Amino acid sequence: MINLRLSKYLNNIDRFLIVLIILLLSIGLVTLVSAAQQATAIIGNQIINITVGIILLVFLSNVDPKRFLFLAPHLYILSLILLASVIFFGFESHGAKRWINILFFNFQPSEIIKITIPLMLAWLYHRYQNTINYRTHSIAFIILAIPCVFILDQPDLGTAILIFLSGLIVIFLAGLSLRFIVVSIFSFLLALPYLWSTLHLYQQNRIMSLIDPNRDPLGTGYHSIQSMIAIGSGGFLGKGWSYGGQTQLNFLPETSTDFIFSVFGEEFGFLGIFILFVLYFLILYRCIDMAQKMQNTFSRLITASLVFTLFSSSFVNIAMVSGVLPIVGAPLPFVSYGGTSMVVSLTMIGIIMSLHSNKSLIAN
Amino acid sequence: MDLHNFKYTFKQRLNFIFGFLIFIFSILLIKFFYLQIIKFDNYSALAKSNRIKIISIPAIRGQILDRNLEILAANKLIYTLELDPKNKLDINEIKKKLSNIVQISNYDIKKYNKTLKENYYSSTIPIKTNLTNTQVAKFIANQYKYPEISLKQKFSRTYPKQQTGAHFIGYINRINKKDIERLKKSGKFESYMGLDHIGKTGIEFFYEDKLHGYPGYKKIEVNAKNDVIRTIEIIEPIHGEDIILNIDYKIQKVAEKAFGKYKGAMVALDPENGAVLAYISQPSFNPNLFINGIDESNWRRLSDSIHKPLINRVVSGIYPPGSTLKPFVALAALENNIRRPPFSIIDKGFYNMPNQSKTFSDWKKSGHGKVDIIKAIAVSCDTFFYGLGIELGIPKLNIVLKRFGFGQKTNIDMPNEKAGLIASAEWKKRKYNKKWYQGETAITAIGQGYTQTTPIQLALATAKLINPDHTLRPRLLKYVITPNHMKSKIIDSNKETSHSQGALEFNLFGKKTKSSYSLVNINKINDLNLVKKAMALVTKEGGTAAFIGRTSSYDVSAKTGTAQVFSLKKNEVYDESKLPDKLKDHALFIAFAPSEKPQLVIAIVVENGGHGGATAGPIAKKVFDAYLNEAN
Repeated sequence: MINLRLSKYLNNIDRFLIVLIILLLSIGLVTLVSAAQQATAIIGNQIINITVGIILLVFLSNVDPKRFLFLAPHLYILSLILLASVIFFGFESHGAKRWINILFFNFQPSEIIKITIPLMLAWLYHRYQNTINYRTHSIAFIILAIPCVFILDQPDLGTAILIFLSGLIVIFLAGLSLRFIVVSIFSFLLALPYLWSTLHLYQQNRIMSLIDPNRDPLGTGYHSIQSMIAIGSGGFLGKGWSYGGQTQLNFLPETSTDFIFSVFGEEFGFLGIFILFVLYFLILYRCIDMAQKMQNTFSRLITASLVFTLFSSSFVNIAMVSGVLPIVGAPLPFVSYGGTSMVVSLTMIGIIMSLHSNKSLIAN
Repeated sequence: MDLHNFKYTFKQRLNFIFGFLIFIFSILLIKFFYLQIIKFDNYSALAKSNRIKIISIPAIRGQILDRNLEILAANKLIYTLELDPKNKLDINEIKKKLSNIVQISNYDIKKYNKTLKENYYSSTIPIKTNLTNTQVAKFIANQYKYPEISLKQKFSRTYPKQQTGAHFIGYINRINKKDIERLKKSGKFESYMGLDHIGKTGIEFFYEDKLHGYPGYKKIEVNAKNDVIRTIEIIEPIHGEDIILNIDYKIQKVAEKAFGKYKGAMVALDPENGAVLAYISQPSFNPNLFINGIDESNWRRLSDSIHKPLINRVVSGIYPPGSTLKPFVALAALENNIRRPPFSIIDKGFYNMPNQSKTFSDWKKSGHGKVDIIKAIAVSCDTFFYGLGIELGIPKLNIVLKRFGFGQKTNIDMPNEKAGLIASAEWKKRKYNKKWYQGETAITAIGQGYTQTTPIQLALATAKLINPDHTLRPRLLKYVITPNHMKSKIIDSNKETSHSQGALEFNLFGKKTKSSYSLVNINKINDLNLVKKAMALVTKEGGTAAFIGRTSSYDVSAKTGTAQVFSLKKNEVYDESKLPDKLKDHALFIAFAPSEKPQLVIAIVVENGGHGGATAGPIAKKVFDAYLNEAN
């Protein structure tokens, strides 16, 4: 009886995608055990994070997409309130105010907004799908800009850029004219010097140290150099699980969170990274395929935007630890230690699965 | 925009995003290929240098001791505070920070800066040396406040006898650029890892290889905070060997005291094996001043002094031998069968050249009366030797002088030895492009010509009168003790292969053999005995050092000498009391005792000491007394 009920709940789970996700989670957990060294509490916490995320995923995959449509504006407003409250009630960590505490949970509203913005924008375009014009796009920009300003204020440049980009993707997919896009990019480049001057000194330093990490090897460039040493010294086959000297002797910073990919690279080598990238490709391919097959604007835009968010976050994290981008402090989805990131990432997959399996429920 | 159109645009743009993501991830993959495959060796090395540190364990330098194991150079444990110059620290700030633990004086800062400028070697440089126990304790208690300052425990060289024996002991100093070049050339550079000092002069320099040992190292793994995780490998250092010298500190001390304020040099040898028992070069200096770089005022004082205290006179001082050359000149005559007794002359106080061109006077104006070769040595008759020289000629004389080691290095185990000079017509032609005059032959025969000698050469030549073994050479080293103190390697002073440069190729009497005693021609042994008999008379009544004989319980054989520092003009009379000190004659003295079975040979030069017997003789007497009375 119970079995029957449980299997009913699992009906909406995409088998192919869930297998890939579980594989990714396993790789992440194995790496985390090595990265956390003797800190067993971290492993326990991460298992709880994953469990909570999976339950949420299963639950959300069964939610009727109509409900998402209905809830989208409310969730957006709620996340804005949370974001605003960071300014008043948030606490600092690593020089930035990103966290708030609600009912004994510490979490980052900026992670929640990664879901609510796509929902809100998809709601907007779905609602006006027959009359999409520059006004719709303008409203979309405003919806996108407000939370970004909040996040910039924390200050968290990396997340702000990521969220802004994932919103732009929705607008882009909704048909914003190419001419407008080209003009915007051009004017952005023109405004760059001004934008540079508005950046915090530490942000400027981070960007400068990217251009030349050896400029200040013991300052902002230090983490970048140590991370590249870790990855580079891994070689083709890696040093073996838990044998990464850079990791185990703490030359690498933040091994459980932002730099967990460096741990993976050091211990599993280029071969490991290649296999991981194949896994990423399969996940991406499956998600894009699902989005292409969806029948309504709302579902398609949300799915595309969430997929983009997940992969651009992954890209930023991996690019940062390999010295392609500056160190901005972004976790690696599904892999890095951290409750908010894990739960949000699995939530996104849950929503995508719901939209996919219930594709006929919201007809155009 | 209609719906169909929208759907089409969406599909197209989504595919574009798909492609874009694959593109940027491909860039990452290329970057990883670059980092992990192409640059693997580079990053692998960087990772290793991150965690593997090599700490050298310096070898403890060997000690230098005299034959009775009196310590002449030792190591004392000291504590220093050191800075790493790579950190580019502000010295004045360090000074202020340390002020409640230890006072950093301006002198310390000056010394630090000087070392920093000349430092090509060590990683950290001392800012304060010789910390007291209280200062060490205070520093350790507050160490966390000074991450940039490290407390080091090291062995510092110390010369407990100060001035005594400074010239032969030598000193160490910080390794400089020239040393590094030299070490690199000889392939010894790596054995100096972690060491700051190197021997610069004397035994410290000559036996550097034995003294300094070979450093060990510790390979350790550290984490990012520099905590030691584990030790990978320890190679223990091989400590330096202790050098035991032939020197007898007691005799050394007696000789030094006997020298008093005189300048000059003295060597005492055991004629049996060439062992150097005393080695004096006066004035001396305190070698402790040099250990960590001598300061400027002391350096000026020492190097600018007109008395030249830094010159090692025993091996580097060059003097005309004066009358101390006469016994060897006499031997040359006897070997050539001239002036053999009963030949004698009547000395009226002067000598006329055969062609009457020039007259040479004797030191004794009234003359010595009837003089044979024995008396000529005993009373140091110049007239006898003028004629001898003229008849013998320079080439025959020089053959014998060469056999006794004049004009060449003795190969004593000491750096900077000078060869001296045996003058000849060919030499004068080469050097000055001038003709050799017969008068020069006459004065060469009494040791006042161009021929020049070092005190060590004089001592060795005298020793060879007793022990005519051509392999005889002066040695300071008696034996070495390897660091475990179990095995001691005895080095026979003479049997060890010499640093053969300039070594004699023939024995004293021309036979190419080592065991010369049994093979020498009986005539030559007789010649030698004749000369020694004459030298024994020097300390008897009528001899030039008769006072020694009067006060000694043993027989002393000797020869006095006086070397002119400047030439008198014609008809000018040498009056010692009227001359300034620096123009006074050098007093020379060679001697051995007891005459019948000599145990000790002495050669002395007292600069500006006037007549040889009067100033140098008493010094020799005191040394003989100390040595022979101690031995009996």
